[in-house]
Amino acid sequence: MDKNQLISIANLAKLKLEDSQINSMLIDFNNIVAYVDDIRNMDTSSIHDDDIYLNHQNAVRPDITGKCLQTEEIAAIAPQFENGYVVVPRVIET
Amino acid sequence: MKYSATKQALNNGTLTSYQVCSRLIERIEKLEPKIHAFLSINKTKIIEAARASDARRSAGKALSAFDGIPIGIKDNICIQGEVASCASKILANFVSPYNASVIEKLLAAGFILFPNLNMDEFAMGSSTENSAFAVTKNPFDTSRIPGGSSGGSAAAVAAGMLPVALGSDTGGSIRQPASLCGVWGLKPTYGRVSRYGLIAYASSLDQIGPIANDTQGVADVFSVISGKDDHDSTSKNLPAFQTTEISELSIANLKIGIMKDDGSQWSADVKNRFDEAVEILKAAGAQIIELDFSLFNYSVPIYYIIATAECSSNLSRFDGIRYGLRVNKTGKLEDLYTDSRSEGFGKEVQRRILLGTFSLSSGYYDAYYGKAQKTRVLLKNQYDSFFKQVDFILQPTSPTTAFKVGEKTGDPIQMYKADILTTSVNLAGLPAISIPAGLGTDKLPIGLQVTSPAFSEGRLLSFVNWLATVPQFKVDLPEEIQ
Repeated sequence: MDKNQLISIANLAKLKLEDSQINSMLIDFNNIVAYVDDIRNMDTSSIHDDDIYLNHQNAVRPDITGKCLQTEEIAAIAPQFENGYVVVPRVIET
Repeated sequence: MKYSATKQALNNGTLTSYQVCSRLIERIEKLEPKIHAFLSINKTKIIEAARASDARRSAGKALSAFDGIPIGIKDNICIQGEVASCASKILANFVSPYNASVIEKLLAAGFILFPNLNMDEFAMGSSTENSAFAVTKNPFDTSRIPGGSSGGSAAAVAAGMLPVALGSDTGGSIRQPASLCGVWGLKPTYGRVSRYGLIAYASSLDQIGPIANDTQGVADVFSVISGKDDHDSTSKNLPAFQTTEISELSIANLKIGIMKDDGSQWSADVKNRFDEAVEILKAAGAQIIELDFSLFNYSVPIYYIIATAECSSNLSRFDGIRYGLRVNKTGKLEDLYTDSRSEGFGKEVQRRILLGTFSLSSGYYDAYYGKAQKTRVLLKNQYDSFFKQVDFILQPTSPTTAFKVGEKTGDPIQMYKADILTTSVNLAGLPAISIPAGLGTDKLPIGLQVTSPAFSEGRLLSFVNWLATVPQFKVDLPEEIQ
């Protein structure tokens, strides 16, 4: 992992690393990746993708309206709220 | 005051909930400057709830035998009208509009909530040093950490500020702080307690559980919070745990597994106490069986790949749009996302989001995340084979007693290794409890971890009740805290 790769990962994660943070984060990151790297040598040929998900079940419920947050409750926690809507910056740049 | 004594006093009328809660608030006010277990405390609200409980009892309308018992709540569990900050700047002012399912159940039983217990930010840490607001200290030595991430819960219970508290455990976050603070902490089987309203870190691993100053506190609270919940799709369709499932076990009929481990990563105190525990069980007639846990050294790497992958996905919801911190410097949407997240999340949370994003990214997914998922199945299979041979597995909970504040903050891998004995249990979805096992030569608590098959908490707590009677395992608070 080099500096550019780390910045690329940070972009994917919507995080902005300050120049002062990048070097120490890069050192930590490479140490952690080296620590977990052994796992790549594990023989997992006996395990198939199905084995991971076979015990999982879909959870379904009746298709009826349940209790949900009311507009005023959403307004109370939203950073900016006007006329029944959460206000966000313009999405389509002009 | 022990949980069982508190419950008894409330039920036989020798103490009111008001008296119990007032005394605890006094103690909290006295000790908080040293311990910092709470992020905030609303005395008025607590006293109002206690008086309401007393009024119910006086009218013969107690909601349950638990009516009026105080319980602490970790700051990642949502309570309607209360801040649930996860000890993060990004949620510092977030007031939950709804109750977690465990909170609904506790309130229905009459428990008095003491919210806002400190924690590592978003439950990511092993020392509570990652809280954005305060470092909680260990009541046995305030120069040391209480463990984490439920460090506030464990420290408050250990210091006698509360008889019981809720924590959450993703890789050891109930058991490790319980161990380092000399109290009991149960991580239930995955699916046994609803996660609805627990702010998610790693959804396939997270589980809410009790930390208490006696075994009855663990069993009672677990009985209240467990059971099927339609709001959590991973909730198991089983009835709530009943304390009547706890019975007297014949130790002589038990097979106890111990992991083949050279103990080289354990401190001498921990190793000696573990060996002593094994001898005590042998003397009581239990059969000790050594298990070859060949995947042991992979458990922390698997955990950190899977947990961080899930964290990078779960924490994507904190984007400054609908709730939480919004930083809008440029008026551009992309900048709003990145500025809100970069200013709102602390260093360790950012590190884990980055690691998770990396292991899920194109070109690395199969090598890391895919491999970790498959190895997790192998690990679970290994546990299944162990429980064909033994009833319980006994280990230390933590390889050392509590370390010094700041000792491991500069080295994330050393911090991650603090979870070396606990993470595999979460990966396999099993129940495990940390129990106090006396003090080391450093006068700090040592904990033992007992793991049992999935959904066998009744037998687990039965065994623990016996272990709680071992005189060598008694833990007394240091005089300055008493």
